[in-house]
Amino acid sequence: MLLYYFRLAMLSIKKTPLLSFLMIATIAVGIAATMVTYTVNYMMSQDPVPGKSERLFTVHLSSWDPNMGYRIKDGKEDIPIFMTYQDATNLYADKKAHKQTIISFHKAMVRGAEQPSGQATMTYLRPTTHEFFSMLDVPFLYGSPWTEYDDSQGSMVVVLSKKKNEQLFQGQNSLGQEVIIGGSIYRVIGVLDDWLPLPRFYTENSDAYSEPRGLFFPFQSSINNDWFSGTDGSVYCWGGVDLIDLDAVKASECVWLFYWVELESAELRNEYLAYINSYAQEQRELGRFQREQMNRVMNVAEFIEYNEVVKKDGRIAVWLAAAFLIACLLNSMSLMMTKFHGKGAEVGLRRAVGASKVDIARQFFCETLIIGLSGGVIGLALAQLGLHITAQVYSYLHSELMDMNLSLMLLTIGLSVLSSALFGLYPIYRACQIQPSSQLKSL
Amino acid sequence: MLKMSNIAKIYLTDTVKTQALQPFNLDIKAGEFVAVVGPSGSGKTTFLNITGLLEDYSEGSYFLNDQDVTDLSDRQKSRLRNEQIGFIFQSFNLIPELNLFDNVEMPLRYRKFSAKERKNRVVDALTKVGLVNRQAHYPQQLSGGQQQRVAIARALAGSPSFLLADEPTGNLDSSMADGIMSLLKDINTAGTSILMVTHDLQQAAKADRIVEIRDGVLTENESINQVVA
Ligand SMILES: Nc1ncnc2c1ncn2[C@@H]1O[C@H](COP(=O)(O)OP(=O)(O)O)[C@@H](O)[C@H]1O
Ligand SMILES: [Mg+2]
Repeated sequence: MLLYYFRLAMLSIKKTPLLSFLMIATIAVGIAATMVTYTVNYMMSQDPVPGKSERLFTVHLSSWDPNMGYRIKDGKEDIPIFMTYQDATNLYADKKAHKQTIISFHKAMVRGAEQPSGQATMTYLRPTTHEFFSMLDVPFLYGSPWTEYDDSQGSMVVVLSKKKNEQLFQGQNSLGQEVIIGGSIYRVIGVLDDWLPLPRFYTENSDAYSEPRGLFFPFQSSINNDWFSGTDGSVYCWGGVDLIDLDAVKASECVWLFYWVELESAELRNEYLAYINSYAQEQRELGRFQREQMNRVMNVAEFIEYNEVVKKDGRIAVWLAAAFLIACLLNSMSLMMTKFHGKGAEVGLRRAVGASKVDIARQFFCETLIIGLSGGVIGLALAQLGLHITAQVYSYLHSELMDMNLSLMLLTIGLSVLSSALFGLYPIYRACQIQPSSQLKSL
Repeated sequence: MLKMSNIAKIYLTDTVKTQALQPFNLDIKAGEFVAVVGPSGSGKTTFLNITGLLEDYSEGSYFLNDQDVTDLSDRQKSRLRNEQIGFIFQSFNLIPELNLFDNVEMPLRYRKFSAKERKNRVVDALTKVGLVNRQAHYPQQLSGGQQQRVAIARALAGSPSFLLADEPTGNLDSSMADGIMSLLKDINTAGTSILMVTHDLQQAAKADRIVEIRDGVLTENESINQVVA
C-alpha cells in the first residue's frame, strides 16, 4: 500500500510540476539557509580536545597593579588571561600539575636552509614547551616533540606543521633538515600531521578560527635568542617597562604568556587552585599580588565561553535562519493547501469508492514526505554551495568550519522531512475533511 | 436489502434552511432495478448520496443488509461503500493520470486483496464492459461512452451488492446512452441491484420500479405512465 501511495505521490507531483517545484524550492531555500548558519555555528562550538577538555585548565593570576584594576568585564573587576614571565616560569618549575605548558608567540623571517635568503617569508611562530603536543593530543607525521632537556637548554629544534613542511620541504620527511628562523639555524625534529583544533582555544579569541601557527620550538630558545615582539600577540603592562629590553620584560609585571595545565582528573581542580592561591600568597608576602586575590583556573569549555570564542551573534544568526525556515515552511504550507484543494475531486471519488479519511491522510502524507525529502536533498546541495561561498568570503576563517560532517548532512535531510511533515499536517487534515458528496455533485 | 424509514434531510447553511428531502420510507429488495426520476433540484442526488453513505441524514433510520448504518464510524462506512456499493457518476470521474487498469483497480486498493486477485478482478470487470484490450490507455484517449464503461467496470470490480448511478447517461449522446443502459440491464440481470437517477423517462421505463422525487417529496409509482401524467 505504501508503494501505491508513493506512486500516486509521484504522479501528483508530475501533474502539477510548477506547484511542486515551488514547494520543493521554498523548502530547499529555507533548509539551506538554516543549515549554512547552523553548520558554521556548530563547527565553531565543537569540543577541540574531545575526552580531555575537562582536564585541561588555563591559569589566571591576580598580579595586577594595586592602584588600578586590569579591566571591567560584565560590571565586575576582571584579571588578565595572560601571565607574567616570572609567574609562568615559577609555576612551570614547580610542576605541580600532571603536565603544564607555557605558550608564547613571536614572528620572524623563515626559510629552509637550502633556500636563497630572498625566499624567506615573515612567519608567525609558536614558542612553547614540549608538553604542548601531548597535552593537546597533537598528531605527528614524522619525528616527535622535543624533550624536557631541550626545554631546559633552549635547544634550537623545531616542529613544523604539515602545511609548513609542504611549503619548506615539499612535504618530504624533513627530519634533520635545517630551517633558518630569524637568522638562527633550527633543526627539524618533528612534522605534524593534519591538526585543526576548532576552536583554537589555547590563545586569544581573535585567533580561534584561523589556522594554528606552523612552527613550534622551545620557549627557552626564544628567550635565549632575546626574541620578543608585541606586534603579533598581546602584551599588557603596568609600572613602566622598556619593551625593547627582554630582561626588563622578564622581570616586569607585563602579562603576555598563556599558561595551561593538564590534571589527572577534573576533580583535582580545587586542589590545584589551592596550590595556585598559596603560590599567590607567597608572592604577596614578597610584595607582589597586592590586589584582592581572584586567581582562577578555567577548563576548555569555560575558557571558550569566557573568551567569547563562539560569538553570540552566531547564535542569533541561527535563530534568524530558523525564523526564515518557518516563513518558508508556512509558504510551502499554503502551496500545499492550494495543491490539495485542487485534488478535491479525487478525494471525493476515493472517499466514495471506499477510502477512509485515514487512507486519504496516508496518501497525502506520503506526498508531503517526498516533497520534504526532495527539499532536503536540494537544500543540502544549496547548503554546500552556500558553505563554499561562505568559505571564500571568510577566507581568514578556517575552511573546516564550512564543512558538513555526515551527521549534519543527515540532520539537513531529517529536518526537511520532519518540518515539511509537520507543516503538512494542517493541509492534510483539511483534505481529509472534504465532503465527498459536495465534490461529486459539482462534477 | 435496503430499508429506509422516515429518512429526511435538511441542509443548514448560515441563514437558509433547505428541506431537501421530506421524511420518506423506502424498501429495496436484492436484484431490483429502481429508477429515480424528478425535475432538477428536487433532491435526487441528495437521496442517492444518503443511500450511498456519502451524506448523513437528518432523521430516520437506514438498514443496509440488515445493518443499522446510523452510528457507524467513518472507517466502517468507508468499508461498507467499498464492499457493498458501486458508484457511477454523470461525469464518469476517472482519474486522468491513471490508465484504465489503475482506475478500475482503485477501489480494490482499499481492500486486502493480493495483487493477483486485484488483477483478476480488474480484467474481469474490464471484460464485462468490453474494454479489456485497452487497459493501458488513459481516459482522455476514450470516447465518453467508453469512459462511462470504465467507470462501470470500476464500480463492478469489488462485486458490490448494488450500484448507485447518478444520471449515468446525462453526458452521452443517445446511441452511447443506449449502450450504457443495456450494459446496466445486463449487470442487473446477472444479480446486482441498481438504483439509477435519470431524466430520461424512456430509460426509466426499463427499470423494475420507479421512484419519483418532487420538491423533496418521494413517491412510489407503479408505472412510467403515472409519472408522465
Ligand atoms: N450541500 C448542500 N447544501 C445546501 N443545500 C444543498 C446542498 N446540496 C443540495 N442542496 C439543495 O438541496 C436541493 C436538492 O439538491 P439535489 O439533491 O442536488 O437535486 P437534484 O439532484 O435532484 O438536482 C436543492 O435545492 C439544492 O440546492
Ligand atoms: Mg443531481
